[in-house]
Amino acid sequence: MIQFADAFAWLVDPANWPGPNGITARILEHLWYCLLALVLALVIAMPAGLYIGHTGKGRALAIGLTGALRALPSLGLLTLLAVTMSLGLRLAIVPSTIVLAILAIPPLLAAAYSGVEAVDPDVVDGARASGLNEWQIVGRVEVPLAAPLLVGGLRSAVLQVIATATLSAFLGLGGLGRFILDGQAVADYTRMLGGAILVIALALILDGGILLLQRWLVPSGVSIALGTGRLEGR
Amino acid sequence: MIRFDHVHKEYPDGTIAVDDFTLEVPSHEVVVLLGSSGCGKTTLMRMVNRMVDPSSGSVSIDGDDVAHSDPVKLRRSIGYVMQSGGLLPHRTVVDNIATVPLLLGATRRSAHARASELLDLVGLEQSVAKRYPSQLSGGQRQRIGVARALASDPNILLMDEPFGAVDPVVRAELQRELLHLQNELAKTILFVTHDVDEAFLLGQQVLVLRTGAEVAQHGSPANILLDPADDFVANFIGGPRRHLRTEMRDGRHIVVDAAGHVTGVLQDDRGAAG
Repeated sequence: MIQFADAFAWLVDPANWPGPNGITARILEHLWYCLLALVLALVIAMPAGLYIGHTGKGRALAIGLTGALRALPSLGLLTLLAVTMSLGLRLAIVPSTIVLAILAIPPLLAAAYSGVEAVDPDVVDGARASGLNEWQIVGRVEVPLAAPLLVGGLRSAVLQVIATATLSAFLGLGGLGRFILDGQAVADYTRMLGGAILVIALALILDGGILLLQRWLVPSGVSIALGTGRLEGR
Repeated sequence: MIRFDHVHKEYPDGTIAVDDFTLEVPSHEVVVLLGSSGCGKTTLMRMVNRMVDPSSGSVSIDGDDVAHSDPVKLRRSIGYVMQSGGLLPHRTVVDNIATVPLLLGATRRSAHARASELLDLVGLEQSVAKRYPSQLSGGQRQRIGVARALASDPNILLMDEPFGAVDPVVRAELQRELLHLQNELAKTILFVTHDVDEAFLLGQQVLVLRTGAEVAQHGSPANILLDPADDFVANFIGGPRRHLRTEMRDGRHIVVDAAGHVTGVLQDDRGAAG
């Protein structure tokens, strides 16, 4: 418990916050790496997941692929990419972003295709028969109705990425991993623990934030439709 | 006028849903496809708006083969009502009804004005406009399904067992109102059902279908009742249940079926009949 007390003392010490190596800067770096990776993952996983959910094609491939991606050890992959890519060590943000994106893709992809697949086929049929084209069916029917699952996928991706972005420090990047890695190098357990607490706090705060945001991200009609509509059973 | 010309539909697994079907649906008439589930009646109906394409043969509307038209445009020009309603659960009633006019480029204001007109037409209170489909009863949802189908004032209405999922009292009410609407609007309606009474009530022409959408009999309801083509038709439309006779009881004529079950009371006074 002494360590915890020391770690909290370190956290609340104003001297540790400002400056290029301060907590504020490290948090911003950490968030930046995560944002990059999440954007990359979203750009890949959303179109692919929506396509699979909408057409039913490539489902087996997606399941196999996401399973394989989930099994990849992040640290091993990070090292491999860093030393094999020509840019790897000079521009460490590249392998770092790739590794984090690979971590974020499976939950986002699974949420997208399972969310779209879960939409009542009669609703899609009715929309198509009314004259919505396929893009309109995806954009106006499937995505809004899949929104709760999509947000769920985003939450789990954010949690994983925030936690794993600490590894970026191994490539000489910043982020909260710096405290853990640098602390370890000089046996400064207070700093290590402080860094770990910051990672956990950041993850929890972002998760709570998305949860709050869900109210705006999910159209009110969807909550009503999925809340009462399903239970009522047509 | 809708014309089916030697239409054939075979699925990749070899199932033949429709085998050489030919029919002309005259404009402004209600034609009912009557058959048990799996007989291919829905498949036939969905060929009109290209939700299904025939393997061979053609479907044409006023002489134009639908195969040459863009399916999305075609569907916007044809009303479609389905059994489950198929409404968008995340859109309000008024937005659901306004779907097609908005797709066709109407302004929001005019589409909503049209939607509220339609609420009146299908006998719903304006107060349901801002509600969501899941907050309504099954009967109300079906009315909204009908309103949505009518929103762009299409010439053709396809109705796939639209009243199959509501209770008998509501169903009877919806059927009466459809007849009433049809008197006013005179659409060309292709109506699919497995309910014999519904078919005879609504259809000017009824087609009794066997598996593979083979026409067992095609005629007016009276025609089919008076002269069933074969045992299949006779059984399908109710067999002995339709063989009625009158008996005197307590000084009044009652109607009984072949098995002696009372099915109604004959009104002696012609003026009070019906």
